[in-house]
Amino acid sequence: MITAEALTKRYGTTTAVDGLSFTAHPGTVTGFLGPNGAGKSTTMRMVLGLERPTAGSVLVDGQRYADLRAPLRTVGAMLDVRSAHPGRTAFRHLLALARTHGIPRSRVDEVLGLTGLQSVAGRRVKGFSLGMGQRLGIAAALLGDPSTLVLDEPVNGLDPDGVLWIRSLVRDLAAEGRTVFLSSHLMHELALCADRVVVVGRGRLLADASVAELLERSRAAGVVRVRTTVPDRLAPALVRAGAAVAVEPDGALHVRGASLEEVGAVAGEVGATLLELTAEAGSLEAAYLELTGGSVEHRAGSR
Amino acid sequence: MRAPGPSFPRVVHAEWTKLLGLRSTHVVVVATVGLVGFLTHLSSSASAGDPGFVPTRGLADVLPLAFLGVLVLGVVVGAGEHSTGTFRSTFAAVPQRIPVLLAQAVVTAAVALWTGVLSVAAAVLGILPAAASREMTPDLATAGVPGLLLGSGGFLVGAGLLGLAFGALLRRPVPALVAAVVLFLVAPVVLSIAADTGDDPVAVHDPEDPPAATAVVNTVESFTPVGAGAVLTNPGGGGLDGAPDLGAAGSALVLGCWVAVPLTVAAVRLRRRDLV
Repeated sequence: MITAEALTKRYGTTTAVDGLSFTAHPGTVTGFLGPNGAGKSTTMRMVLGLERPTAGSVLVDGQRYADLRAPLRTVGAMLDVRSAHPGRTAFRHLLALARTHGIPRSRVDEVLGLTGLQSVAGRRVKGFSLGMGQRLGIAAALLGDPSTLVLDEPVNGLDPDGVLWIRSLVRDLAAEGRTVFLSSHLMHELALCADRVVVVGRGRLLADASVAELLERSRAAGVVRVRTTVPDRLAPALVRAGAAVAVEPDGALHVRGASLEEVGAVAGEVGATLLELTAEAGSLEAAYLELTGGSVEHRAGSR
Repeated sequence: MRAPGPSFPRVVHAEWTKLLGLRSTHVVVVATVGLVGFLTHLSSSASAGDPGFVPTRGLADVLPLAFLGVLVLGVVVGAGEHSTGTFRSTFAAVPQRIPVLLAQAVVTAAVALWTGVLSVAAAVLGILPAAASREMTPDLATAGVPGLLLGSGGFLVGAGLLGLAFGALLRRPVPALVAAVVLFLVAPVVLSIAADTGDDPVAVHDPEDPPAATAVVNTVESFTPVGAGAVLTNPGGGGLDGAPDLGAAGSALVLGCWVAVPLTVAAVRLRRRDLV
């Protein structure tokens, strides 16, 4: 379990993390979502004790990371692909880590197998692709069979196979009762594998909600496109239900402020025959953009 | 059940695994030993024609050069951790941090000592052809080979730890190596050239009464790592002109201080600062 309490990190006058509080619970996958530069990686480095908070605290199973008796057996982390010496082989890198905790060599072979790296275990890391580097990072994270996993952008650079593998891996790890805390800047990625999502922007907490709640919000924020044989009857009914309706040139209605299900229900009430009913693509992303809209550091064409 | 977490012997074992897993470690040791053997052979063959040739006298001629090889090794250990990003996994495994630096000192010292022993062996092999050409058998026991082994070992351990300290402190291999080389190899040469230009070139050389500038420079040099190393790799050689003779023990102490200061500063930085 990871508990952050008013966690704050300042570098000089820049505030990277600003009073962040959240909890990642055992048995769940907690997504950590935010645009680049939102303070996700800084937060994760503070979880791992590589950086000290300016104020507040972050605890793993109720303890500071530096006070853990066997860190690798408690927390497994993948923070950066560049965490292994390029001149060492994958096997050596893992073996050295294992030796700090008296983890047997057989476990090194096991995690190499789990991550599909057996065939390249004897190769030096400098020849690894981004995806192989990610797998090596995950192998290192799993080495101590930890109850908490911290993964920074684990799907970055993976091929579609690897992305599917990570999704099922984190689901399985959580199903075994472990705490999984993983960051991403992609909302739809987290929607596929996370139970809860902690959203940050400019170091501040923007939302801490279940994926279902966020989906609900995104429906409310999104646009539903509906085409019917009787737009004149459906449009006033939708307005009465509290939605905003605009008529498109092709005769379809664009509905804001109502979910897909609500539009369908209203159509049923007034007996309108539907030809098409769709949530406009990207509505999930739209909700995320709305949440983080004020907190993106650089925006294209904002001049 | 054994303790689940890191202990000092485990961290040393891990650092040993890391050090031997790098090709550069093996390259540095082999290159250093090979170069010492080869250059000793060249210098001893060059003087083999002298009337008063004593083969064992050339044993220590090239050994101070091994300083550079082991210095590089130390820098690679100390700075490589940070410049490659390995520190993320290393210090996540050992959040107390200081045991890692101490373990790196232990394994660097071990490899440096091994390099010292092999270098002395290479130097002995290097003088054999020249000795054979004069049909001499080098008398190793009386030539102070045991003292030379001890001195070279100690000198190279010091060099390795200096490299480690500079690497750990500066965290980038090239600046660390440049700083160490300038401070320890270039500065003494510049100093002695400066002293020479102040001398009267036609004055009679008298070791008992050297010019003041030479005495000052030689005194300073006795207190540098390379000066201390020159004494350690040349047991019974005596001090430089006009400088106090520190002896092997005193020179070892000088070298120890040179190691302790930057290593302590590196430890403080490691302990106090964020690792980014």
